[in-house]
Amino acid sequence: MTRFLAVSNRKGGVGKSTISVMLAHAAAAWGRQRVLLMDLDTQCNASLMLLGGEGWEKASRSGQTIADYFYDRFDNVAGDESVYIVNNVGDVAHPRTAPGRVSLLPGSQQLEDVQGELYLKQSKKDLHADAVALLVRSRMKRLMRHFGMDYDLVILDCPPGLSFAAHAALDMADQIVVPFRPDFVSQFALDRVALLIERVENAQQLASIPFAERRYACLPNCLTGAGHERLLIEQIALDHPLMTTRLPVLDSIARAFDWDERKKTMEQKYAEALAHLRKLHTEVFAGTQRRSKSA
Amino acid sequence: MRKTKALSGAAQDAYFRRAFKTHSNMVAAEREQLLRSLKREIAQLRLRLEPLPREAVTPKPAAAVDGPEETSAPQAAASSTSFDPFSLNVVVIVRTLGRAAALAALAAIDREEDLRLLAREQRLSVGPDVVSLAQLRAAIVSAAERRVANRMAAAS
Repeated sequence: MTRFLAVSNRKGGVGKSTISVMLAHAAAAWGRQRVLLMDLDTQCNASLMLLGGEGWEKASRSGQTIADYFYDRFDNVAGDESVYIVNNVGDVAHPRTAPGRVSLLPGSQQLEDVQGELYLKQSKKDLHADAVALLVRSRMKRLMRHFGMDYDLVILDCPPGLSFAAHAALDMADQIVVPFRPDFVSQFALDRVALLIERVENAQQLASIPFAERRYACLPNCLTGAGHERLLIEQIALDHPLMTTRLPVLDSIARAFDWDERKKTMEQKYAEALAHLRKLHTEVFAGTQRRSKSA
Repeated sequence: MRKTKALSGAAQDAYFRRAFKTHSNMVAAEREQLLRSLKREIAQLRLRLEPLPREAVTPKPAAAVDGPEETSAPQAAASSTSFDPFSLNVVVIVRTLGRAAALAALAAIDREEDLRLLAREQRLSVGPDVVSLAQLRAAIVSAAERRVANRMAAAS
């Protein structure tokens, strides 16, 4: 059964795209899974990491983007969605992994415009604004689920902010990784995204949901080792499930995403970050297994 | 040679009670509340038979974080070579154990510069007009309470 894993946080610059791509590589190389990464962010960073600028531009010109997919198939969900997918993306060639395990539905800078246009199109049906929004979200969820048959794992790289697509992704995800940088405003961002994920209205309602029953887990990222980071992580752990993996600021992570067409092993690509990625992959995958068993 | 002895139950309670009585700035109600908390949460403590010399006692960080090594705060070095301003997490203590416990934890810090350093590093705003150590501790705890309330308000 396909698992849908969202990587989300309403705050920007916390490493959502980087972590999405790292998890895609790890699941394909180590988990031997067929992985699709869906780039819902109009910045298209995950697409640029996996295709390079020219590759992404080529995909955009040929209509292989998520905006094209939503626009073309909004009223016609049934159809061959594979024409929008770019296969065998990225620069990892693990010895045990057949090429083509990571596929990409590329992002588009037009996605916000397309969402607005789809909303307006539906508005003509004399529905209340909330009902129209719900309809657009529901249709997007159906369109995203459509990829379920062809992949073991679908990673949804969510945008910061709350578009229809982001709402749809959070609604449908089986599991959500919420990366954050331990700084003052991150606490507020985590609180808010948690309310949204668990569909509650305030901190008291959120507190009544046991950690084990929540769909999300927070991932501390970009750690420098400063004392105040530790304090903040301890504070966040009072209110949110926290992953045991901690990702420090590492040059090797930043360098791993300099575009390079040459295929390399996971060891070559991630260098000293490899141990952190292994831990992240194990933890995320174990969480997914636990959830599917309990379901 | 035995260097420590274990205390639990009534002996542990008596030890805490004796230790807290040395802090005259803690009111009786707060002390009792803290003693009740400690009784619930601590099963056993190990007491050094020969206490370390005072200057050898270095506060240990509250919890280990798997990640890069802790960097020393430059202000900490300037103020006191042995004091770690992150040794206790005031906001977490306020949230989990309450005001009295936070005041009791801060009572172990008896230098104004260390308290001010802790407040600064933990981003707990304390006014310059606060003069006594007791006032300073109370101001730190109040700032932590404001921090908690502020966050709860934003998440509603």
